[in-house]
This record gives sequence, structure tokens and C-alpha cells, in this order.
Amino acid sequence: MPYEKYETVIGLEVHIQLATASKAFCGDENKFAGSPNTQISPISLAHPGTLPRLNERQVAYAVRLGLALGCRINPLNRFDRKNYFYADLPKGYQITQQDEPVCLGGGMEIITPDYTRNIRIHHIHMEEDAGKSTHDAYPDNTVVDLNRAGVPLLELVTEPDFRSAEEVDIFMNSMRQLVRYLEISDGNMEEGSMRCDCNISVRLKGSETFGNRCEIKNVNSMRFARRAIQYEVKRQIDLIESGGEVLQQTLNFDPVTGKTSPLRSKEDAHDYRYFPDPDLPPVALSEDYIEKIREQQPPLPWDLKQKFQEEYGLSEYDARLLTERKKDALLFMDCCGDSKHFKQLANLFINKIKTHQKESPDTVFTKKQLTEFVELIAANQINITVANQQLFPAMAAAPEKSVKKLAEEMNLFQSDDGDFLDGLITEVLAKNPDKVKAYKNGKKNLLQMFMGQVMRNAKGKADPKKLQELLREHLES
Amino acid sequence: MFMENKNFTTVQSRLAAGEINLTGLVTDYLTAIEESKKLNIYVEVFAEEALQRAKVLDEKFAKDPTSVGRLYGMVISIKDVICYKDHKVTGGSKILTDFESLYTATALQRLLDEDVIVIGRVNCDEFAMGSGNENSFYGPTINAVGENRVPGGSSGASAVSVQANTCLASLGSDTGGSVRQPAAFCGLVGLKPTYGRISRYGLLAYASSFDQIGTITNTVADAALLLEIMAGPDAYDSTASPRPVEKYSDLDTKASPKKIAYFKSALDHPSMDSEIRAASLDFLEKLKKDGHEVSGLDFDLLDYLIPAYYVLTTAEASTNLSRYDGVRYGYRSEDVNDLQETYKKSRTEGFGKEVKRRILLGTFVLSSGYYDAYYGKAQKVRRLITEQTKEIFQSYDYMVMPVTPSVAWKIGDQSTDPVAAYLADIYTVQANMTGIPAIALPLGKNKENMPFGIQIMSDRHTEFSLLNFANSIDFQ
Repeated sequence: MPYEKYETVIGLEVHIQLATASKAFCGDENKFAGSPNTQISPISLAHPGTLPRLNERQVAYAVRLGLALGCRINPLNRFDRKNYFYADLPKGYQITQQDEPVCLGGGMEIITPDYTRNIRIHHIHMEEDAGKSTHDAYPDNTVVDLNRAGVPLLELVTEPDFRSAEEVDIFMNSMRQLVRYLEISDGNMEEGSMRCDCNISVRLKGSETFGNRCEIKNVNSMRFARRAIQYEVKRQIDLIESGGEVLQQTLNFDPVTGKTSPLRSKEDAHDYRYFPDPDLPPVALSEDYIEKIREQQPPLPWDLKQKFQEEYGLSEYDARLLTERKKDALLFMDCCGDSKHFKQLANLFINKIKTHQKESPDTVFTKKQLTEFVELIAANQINITVANQQLFPAMAAAPEKSVKKLAEEMNLFQSDDGDFLDGLITEVLAKNPDKVKAYKNGKKNLLQMFMGQVMRNAKGKADPKKLQELLREHLES
Repeated sequence: MFMENKNFTTVQSRLAAGEINLTGLVTDYLTAIEESKKLNIYVEVFAEEALQRAKVLDEKFAKDPTSVGRLYGMVISIKDVICYKDHKVTGGSKILTDFESLYTATALQRLLDEDVIVIGRVNCDEFAMGSGNENSFYGPTINAVGENRVPGGSSGASAVSVQANTCLASLGSDTGGSVRQPAAFCGLVGLKPTYGRISRYGLLAYASSFDQIGTITNTVADAALLLEIMAGPDAYDSTASPRPVEKYSDLDTKASPKKIAYFKSALDHPSMDSEIRAASLDFLEKLKKDGHEVSGLDFDLLDYLIPAYYVLTTAEASTNLSRYDGVRYGYRSEDVNDLQETYKKSRTEGFGKEVKRRILLGTFVLSSGYYDAYYGKAQKVRRLITEQTKEIFQSYDYMVMPVTPSVAWKIGDQSTDPVAAYLADIYTVQANMTGIPAIALPLGKNKENMPFGIQIMSDRHTEFSLLNFANSIDFQ
């Protein structure tokens, strides 16, 4: 197979739409899915005489991401104009950072089932989004929605460190998790809050030089990214194997056909005529400013994961699941401050809460409830099955109520009252004289059957350990 | 009556004395506008609106003289590059045909808040590109003195509107001399403040790092008052200076002895008109007599000013004007099949010759492979000139320079050679390249009775000192 001779090399340009209240360079509202052309103003429409003014929140968010990824923060930020004409670009140029990006260097680890690897980051820069053109809504016309024009973006450019579509997938998922932890973006690829351009080339394994690369533009779902990369890698290898040469091109991926097709070649690449935007003075970021952001930095997913493994003795798998969402991870950590039954808490979060959230994402669980819940099970006061099946839904439906009280009202406490159990056991044994006989004759595994019946009659209130002890006494006396 | 109303102090005292009222004044200005129609000053006259506002203000003043703003009695024209809400603004260009602004420029809003009256918007070179007011979609404006002479540019009609007594003052814009040069050609006072002193929000951009709103007035005092009201920080312009505004209008009539510099090479420049040269030397002599120390300096960067200026301003202009694309507003060519053609035809048909020339030039100097040789080099020249200028102001209070190497030329005389026209900006561009304030004052007239001026410059943000000094000079 010729494919195995080749190694895939991928670099990403990830665009992250920032969840600021207003746009990057004016006061227009920044939100997704407003009616077309309602979040606009003379500034975002590029009316004559208007000027950009920097949204400082955008800078703070960029620094937040940079610090999380271990980047060097550029103390002097400049903005440049990238010039090109398009119907959804009102000014005829995009404000971006060409020469002095806000963050340099840094990296992020990707963890695959088999290995862990660092993906290096080249830089992160600030820029503004363009509007949205829709070409297929009308037969003869393209329609333009400028709500998105001027929305703040961070563009994160990686080194060509990826070797497979799977690695890209893991990286993008981690990146989404990170921006959500940092609360700088909602990270929704479906809504375009995160998009990526993939630079793909192939080379013979062991080769030191890179092959000619192709750039696939604006892939807005991970599924498409995977398919696009797989298609493109095969196309490039086939081309080389048949004696051809990969041309440096910008490609478009069509999710319908599953194929990439050229948008433009290197020869007709735009000359963007970058130059410093004279309307925006350089922005100096002092060490104090950066320190302040560092101090206010929220916990990062990988730090929490490590803590959960090391301090709470959880498995990598559990820790990963628990840190998927910041809200859950923080609540879990909070609970672990009050209850030392870490594993039980972890089970509760992973098995019950996560499933529950899928159906009713708005349910609020409190630390008090969850720790009480786990303590009741751990103290053997409530049977775990009963707790999960009956108490949990009741608790979810009544977030303000004490869990103990709920359990009392529902009469779910286990009983270690000997008389109560004695009565139930006598009743069951009396109903099954044959089986008692069989047991006494050596069919010891009938114990489970008696256990089951008594448990059923006890409606979950029997402590199985105690019950087993008592049953044995009855049968073997 | 107008002769007596050529400065705001007189207008105010006559209004206070009840000798005149604002409605009458506006009516007279409107008559003057009507009578000067052949000069092609106004693109649009806001006659009814101005009269209406005058009436309201007169009533307000009659009831309580303290209830009106500081500019009650000030009637101005605005250059067709300054946005005024619900009024058209076209930059003297076909490409903004019928465009109406949705907002008011910060500088103008501050004047309106003090009860200024805007009597109309006046002609200019298209997007402020030109020095003769000949590059306008609306045709040339004519200097009120002299036979068929240009008024200068690009704020040519601003100057003529004051010169022809159709208003008391005019707002212009100065990117390389566009306020000072027409002021000189029309015998008026033209002030270009420090870059960033007045917000550019609402000023149609030509070259963003050079543009500054300026005034054309009869007196230094009027310039100072208007500046005082317009200046100051603005949340809508990041390049506007946060420095507090001084009381510029608090003028002295006497100046203590100052140290004044001039460039010897400027006065000896081959393009220099001999009569202006002689008058400028006389002026320097007079300053000496008045007790100031005057020194001639060498300045070997003079010849680099114009090339660097045109590289940088056209570069900025080429992208500033990209928004005029026929897509969202303004002129759009009808005869098109797709987006590319919409751009090409709308811009080809919508822009005039000089604007197209500068867009092409600016696009060229920014294009890959040429950037370093042109834009990069010009930036270096700008830095050098700025450093040297700064150094001069460490030893001297002011710099004196002619405004122009010649008097106003005849309409059509210069249009065949754009480079010759560019070179005429030699004395005015330094202030824009370095961001310093500069004021053009009327110095005299040549034997053909054409006016010319003298220019005084000072360090950044020293308008207070500059205006005081300018006010102290007795030209009699």
C-alpha cells in the first residue's frame, strides 16, 4: 500500500469568535442569530467619517487565552489593515494584527489513547470578523448579513505539528473546552464561533522537508474537518504516486460531495497590502495588566484533571469525564471539600448527573444536596440502588429541599432493626418450605433468592449485609 | 454692514447692544451667498434651517441673554467632508451622490451645542485631494480676488465663503496644507491644530495620520475660540489626544521675546516667488525689531518632504477610500453583471481623475515587493523629520515659513502637471508630517493684488502659545 509510506503534516489556523458584549471596534451588540442587519451602526457599515475604537475586553480575552497556553504576551500591540474587496467587508479592509500579534509561542498537549504530544502554537492575533454572505438563498443574488461584521476574533496559528485527522479532532475539542473554561467564547462550531483552516501536506516518512501544502478554508464542523483532511491526504498521495505534483492552493471543502476543490492558486493569491492602521494607536500591555489577568485566571481543565487524579485518587478516565465542563468540575471539587467519598461523588457525577443533564440541562444541583446524597449511601443509611433510582430523581426535582428530609418523607432509610428483618425473614421462609429444605440439603446458592424476596418486601429498606447475616442465622439454626 | 462684522467679538457686542439680530445677520449672509453664486462656493445652502435656528436663538436671547451658547452669533460654513446628521455629505465626489449622514461629526456637534449656525456646506477638492479646488465633481470654486484665480485647496470654497462674507468662519480639513494654503491665497487666517487635538470622527478620511480639522477665519481670536470649543478627547476617535483643553481664547496682544527659527533653504528654494520671499524676509526683520531672536537654520530634509508625504498620504488614502465601493451607499454603476464589475465600474465612474491617480499610487506603494522601497522608506523619512523638528523646538519657540511658494494661479494653469502641483505644498506638509500645529496669517499682496501669507509653527500641543504669539503680531 503506497499510503503507508507517507506521513501527513497538518497545521491549523483556528478562528475563535469572542463572546464580548459588543463588537471589536464599535459598540454594536455581538450576539449570534439576531435578525439580519440589526446589529449594525454607521461604524460597522463603514459610513464616511467613522473610526474604529478598540474593545478592551477583546485584548483581555486574548491575554487570557495566551496565558493559558503558555504564550509570551506581546507588550506592544499594533493593528494592521488587510485590504481586499468583498461585499461582506464594509471598510474594504479587515483590521488585524500582521506584524505584532498579541501572543507568541506556547502550546497545548493533545492526549490520544496511545500517546501525549505537545502541539506548538506559532502565535495568536486579534482581528475582526467579516459579515456573512449567503449565495444560495436566491437564484440570482447573494445576500449579506452584516451583524457579524466587526465581531472580535482571535486567530490561533499552530506549527505544522499534527500528523493525523484524529489529532486535529482532539486538539479542536480541547481548544473548545479551553475557551469555554476561560469564558471567552462559546466555542460552538455549528454556529461558527470556532472555525478552522487546515494546511495539509504529505511527505515520505522520515523526510525532513515539507511537501507543498494546500489550505482548506473555513471548515466549520469537526466531522467535516476529518473528512476533508482524509480526502485531501488521499488526493495528494494519489497525485504524487501517479507522478504528479501537489500545487500550493487554497481549497474549498464541499460537505455534500465530500471533495475538495481549488478556490485559488498561489499565483492569484491576493496581495493584501498590509500596513499599520493609522486609526488605532499601538496598545501597550503593562506587566501589571498582564499580572492582574493572570491572577484572575479561572482554573484550567488540565490543572483540574491533574488535581482530581492526584488529590482525589481518581482514574485518568474519571478525571477526564469530570473536567469536561467547568461548571461540573467546579461543583465536583466543591463537593469534595465537604465529603471525602471522592469515588462515590465521582460515580454520582459521571453516572447520574451527566445523564440527567442530557435530558434536562437546566437542572441545578447544589453542593449540599450532592454531599448529603453521597453521605447517606456511604453511611449505609440508604441502599445505593434505591438512592439512584428513587432519591436522585426526587432530589433533581426539588433542588431546595434537604436530601435527608426527602429520604425520610419517601421512607427510604435502610433498617438495621433486627425485629423488622426477623419478621420479614420468617414470613419468606414460611412461604417456601421446599426451598428451605433444599438449602439445608446443600443448595447454598438459594440464599440469593431468599435475599431478593426479603429485599423486595422490605422495599429497599433492608441493609443487605445485615440481612445476609440474619438469613444465614435463620437457615442454619 | 459686513465690514463691521468681520470678527466675532464685534458681532457679539452688536448683538448685545441690539444693533443687529442673528436673523438679520443670517439674511444678509444668504443675500451674499446669492450674490456670489458665480464663485461656486456652496454645494448646498441650508437657508431655511439657518433662518429658523437664528429666529429661535434670537427669541431665546431676547428672553434671557445668558441662556444662549458661547457661539450665539457665529455663522459658519462647513467643508463637504464634515458629517452633519440628516444633511448630505459628498466629499466633492460623484461617488457619494445624495449620501446623507446618519450622525454629526464630534467637532461640529460641539460647536452646535454652543449655538453655532451652519449656513451651508461648501465645495472642495474631491476627498480633499488637491490644492486649487479644481478637482471637484461640482466644478472649480473661484477666488473672490483676482481674475479667474483658484482659491487654493482643498478647502478652497471654505476660504472663499469667508472671503466673500457669506459667513464668519469655515470648517475645513488640513492633510498637507488644505486649510492654510487657501487661507493664504484668500488673505485669511488658517489654523491647523496639533494632530489629535480635534476629533476626526465625522471627517471623511483622506490620510488618517495626517488629517486634522482646521478653521478659516478673519482673525486669530475667532480661530482660538472655535478651537477651544472643538478640541478635546473623544471616545469615538482613538487618535484624539486626552490632554485637557487650554483656554485658547484667552489671548494676549503682547508677546515676551521669543526664539524663532526659519529654514534658510526654504526661502532660497528655486520655486520661491521673489515677492513672497522679500516679504517673508521683511517679516523676519520686523520680528527681530520687535525684540525676538531670529535664526536661520539649515534643514537638509526639505526636498524629501513632498515625496515622503505623497507616498504616505496616498497609501493611507488608497485604503481609506475602499469603502466607497457602490455596495452599501453612494453611487453604483447600473451597467454591471457581477460584484467585480460593480466595484470596477462604480469606482471608475464615481471617482474623479486626481482621486483615481492617488488611489493607484497608494495601492502601488503598498503592494508586495514595493512596500519597503516606498512606504517603508517614507515612514523612515517621516520619523527623521519628526525627530529633527522636535529637536528644533527644544531650542526655539516657533518656526516661521512662507505658506506657499507662489500666489494663487489661474484656473486650469496647473492641472497638466500634477507633480508641479504637489511641489507647491512644500511649506505646509511639514506640520502634517510631524503633527505640529501651524497657523497661516495674511502677510501681504503682490503687485497683481493677490494675497499671500506667512506661517508660524510650534511644538505639539502648544496651541495656546502659538495663538498668543500670532495674535500679538502687528501687521500694520
